[in-house]
Amino acid sequence: MRSSIQRSLLPGEHAKLPAEHSWHDHAVFLLHVAAEVEHSLMVQYLYAAYSLGGAALDEAAHETARQWREVILGIAKEEMGHLITVQNVLRLIGGPLHLEREDYPFRSEFYPFYFTLEPATKGSLAKYVIAEAPEEWLKTEEGKEVVARAQKADKGRAVRRVGELYEQLIDLFKNEGALTDADFRGDTGPYQASWDEWGRGYGQGERGNVGGTAPAKTPDVLVIRTPDRASVIDALERIARQGEAPTLGRGGAPDEKSHFKRFLDIYHDFPASNPPSRIIPTNPRTAAQGDGDEADTAGPRGCTRITDKRSLLWAHLFNIRYRKLLFTLKHVLYVEAGADVDRPSARGNLIAWAFGEMYNLRSIAGILVTLPLKAEGGDRRAAPPFEVPYTLALPDWNSDKWRVHRDLIAASEQVIHQLDKADAPRHDYLRALRDHDKRNLDIIGRLEENA
Amino acid sequence: MKIRALRILPPLAIARLGSSPAPLENYDIRVPERDPLGFREIHGALTFVVDRDSGTIRRAYTPDSVRFRDERGRVKPVAPFLEVWAEAGGKLVPLTAALLAGDKLSAADVEWRVQVGNHKVFRRTGQMADRVDADSGWFSGHHVKALAGKCANFLPRKTLPFGDVQFIKPTKAFPEIRFRFTPGKGLIYGSNDSRTRSEDVADVVYDSGRGSWSGYTDDNADPGAIVTNPSGIYANLEDPATTSRGYLDDECDGIVEVRIRGTKLAAFARIGAGPPDYAPDSFPVRTIADELEQVLLGAGVAAADVSPEWTEEILRRVFETVRLQNTTVLNGNPVLNGRAANSMVTQDVRRGRAEEPIMAPAIVDSLAVRALHQSVFAAMRSGSAAWFAEVLREFEEVGDLTNAGRRKMPAMMRGSDGLYLALTRRQHNAVQASGNCQVNAEDPAAATFTEPAPPKKKVRP
Repeated sequence: MRSSIQRSLLPGEHAKLPAEHSWHDHAVFLLHVAAEVEHSLMVQYLYAAYSLGGAALDEAAHETARQWREVILGIAKEEMGHLITVQNVLRLIGGPLHLEREDYPFRSEFYPFYFTLEPATKGSLAKYVIAEAPEEWLKTEEGKEVVARAQKADKGRAVRRVGELYEQLIDLFKNEGALTDADFRGDTGPYQASWDEWGRGYGQGERGNVGGTAPAKTPDVLVIRTPDRASVIDALERIARQGEAPTLGRGGAPDEKSHFKRFLDIYHDFPASNPPSRIIPTNPRTAAQGDGDEADTAGPRGCTRITDKRSLLWAHLFNIRYRKLLFTLKHVLYVEAGADVDRPSARGNLIAWAFGEMYNLRSIAGILVTLPLKAEGGDRRAAPPFEVPYTLALPDWNSDKWRVHRDLIAASEQVIHQLDKADAPRHDYLRALRDHDKRNLDIIGRLEENA
Repeated sequence: MKIRALRILPPLAIARLGSSPAPLENYDIRVPERDPLGFREIHGALTFVVDRDSGTIRRAYTPDSVRFRDERGRVKPVAPFLEVWAEAGGKLVPLTAALLAGDKLSAADVEWRVQVGNHKVFRRTGQMADRVDADSGWFSGHHVKALAGKCANFLPRKTLPFGDVQFIKPTKAFPEIRFRFTPGKGLIYGSNDSRTRSEDVADVVYDSGRGSWSGYTDDNADPGAIVTNPSGIYANLEDPATTSRGYLDDECDGIVEVRIRGTKLAAFARIGAGPPDYAPDSFPVRTIADELEQVLLGAGVAAADVSPEWTEEILRRVFETVRLQNTTVLNGNPVLNGRAANSMVTQDVRRGRAEEPIMAPAIVDSLAVRALHQSVFAAMRSGSAAWFAEVLREFEEVGDLTNAGRRKMPAMMRGSDGLYLALTRRQHNAVQASGNCQVNAEDPAAATFTEPAPPKKKVRP
């Protein structure tokens, strides 16, 4: 039996060209889909990880939830690496960078399942298992059972494997008739993200696997520079391999390090009822969808409003910092790598800020899941809304790119100001956050001077 | 109340060299509440003004501001006071004239002796005749006692001035038994040959005809001598052999003893004199205090002592240290006509490693590095557990020159063994345990979402 990835390597099997696309354009389109899928998976996995734990658990369940949470957080970090590597490939072929997230309805059949922020359940885990599964496993008895559970959890839609998308991409990049050498820009290296910068030198579980909670050598964040066609194919294959097991092997066992195997292990042990999760909503939102109605909505786009005043402020702060993270990521990919020693480096500072925003998201999410969801009280807790900002487009002029950072810090400051009055116990964190922003505004000024 | 024993407090006092006749005012350092990521603030603290002629404390006041140089730009020396405390009535109390009188004693019965030395040259040459020592002999009274460093290899009648000491005369207003050490001026002294440049030195004291210090190189060190690592860190001719110019400084360290005549009561303390602190509002990530604490309390950290604040303090010191560094240069980014400046990177080459930057060159500018650490600091204040214990360099990893090894924290700095700096085991365990402490918080609803730090094996007893 050949694995899905091995099969994709066979010559002569090429993707079908849609009517309105050129091959190059189609490659950009598929990479955009890949970026959206990776971004969406990352966010949904983070949300699932954040849901695990809570005051209701006994000590043993708490420890199990902690271990599962760490494994899923590790997978989410790896999805972040995939997202950045896809941006590198876009850079190489001159496509616009893409950090937006999938929206509804789907723009492509490749989206694995409806985007849903939901606490970890056996059903949600089934979706994650199938999305990351190798094709051959789906035909096993266990595979069929999980497929059925995943479909039910995905509101009746069959969950698609992410591997299918990567198979198409690998085929396309191998096809020298479709993408010619002229489609590759060899001069984009300095504008691509590198593992040294984004992995900060920590790979193969050197960080993020304390006490061996996760499988050996994980998490392993792949941020791969792609200077040419061969490196793109290698990068896409490595991403695909990290997601699904390339082969079930002789003993029928998938690769320990694949997302598929890690999710499947959790799925096996995860209870079908009474999950060790916090009582947090599905698709929490801060804003009503147009009409100001505060009611929760159902259906594929159903959402739950956060109405507790203090929680709502924290949720707004989360959204601002989420936007700042995404904008910073995009901005940094427009700044050339350099090694100046006599001035602040825009790239270095933007990367540091990106990590800072990741810490902020984790911190604020940690606060949100302990706060009430609804103004009227109750057991339900709030949760990070991960709402997509109205735009992530970079302004044309350099000074205006820095202005966006200033705007976001100003917006954050307004919310912090209100929160500082409403949430005295978090005063220390808010003050440190505000102080840090103030210092970053100074750095922005210096970076602009040096531009 | 019978005096049963004496103590000198503090048991270790570090003076700082300075050429101003006015000692530095006393001060405290505080973290500003309104500006948690900012500089620590220096606040004037109770300061004694000593009349050196009479040996009395003329007045005590709290300065509104603290200036580290005098009006002529000379650095003010840090001149520490040593206080004698007595075990009496089951308690440790300041020794005063009244307490002495209770035992039919007086300040006139208090005797002192100070023995300090500068053995920097001796350490390299291994020649006893290169030791510079000062011994005040036992003395009483309140006059200023100069500490003149003598050395067999000095020119006739030449000494190295290590500063002076004074037994502070108790008064009605200040009855405590105190002692003050005022260090040297921070001057350089030379040898009587052409390697000494007259513009560098305050005086020529060393006789090159007798001693070998001028012209010495670490390459021809006595086998019994202990050279530093890296070697050659003395004023030299900047030649390949790092030939010594024969210079000496007026730093010293040693012992202060006190005894009370006619009794068996005695105590001692250690003193030392080092260079001025030009960043008094910052602390290094690892200090002598951390070493001493580990010696005293061990590497393990008691559960009751674990706190996020401890980790927070270590983090604060990290970004304070980064503030003082050109991290791009220390990282080995190419400078000086494409070559790396002297740093751990160039030191590593001497150990056979290829010369290359430690971190990715684009991410190491000091503002970025500081911002990153301040982000971690802010996150910890949200209640996040300390998740970064894994990236700390283990004590056994100081010689790991792999990419991953060199990138561990603290980065780009060396310890006194010339290898990469690690936190003390106690500090390391404190960070580790702080992470555990929060992850295992009593309120499991308190989410941390960080990699917790369960490996108990790392917490060594």
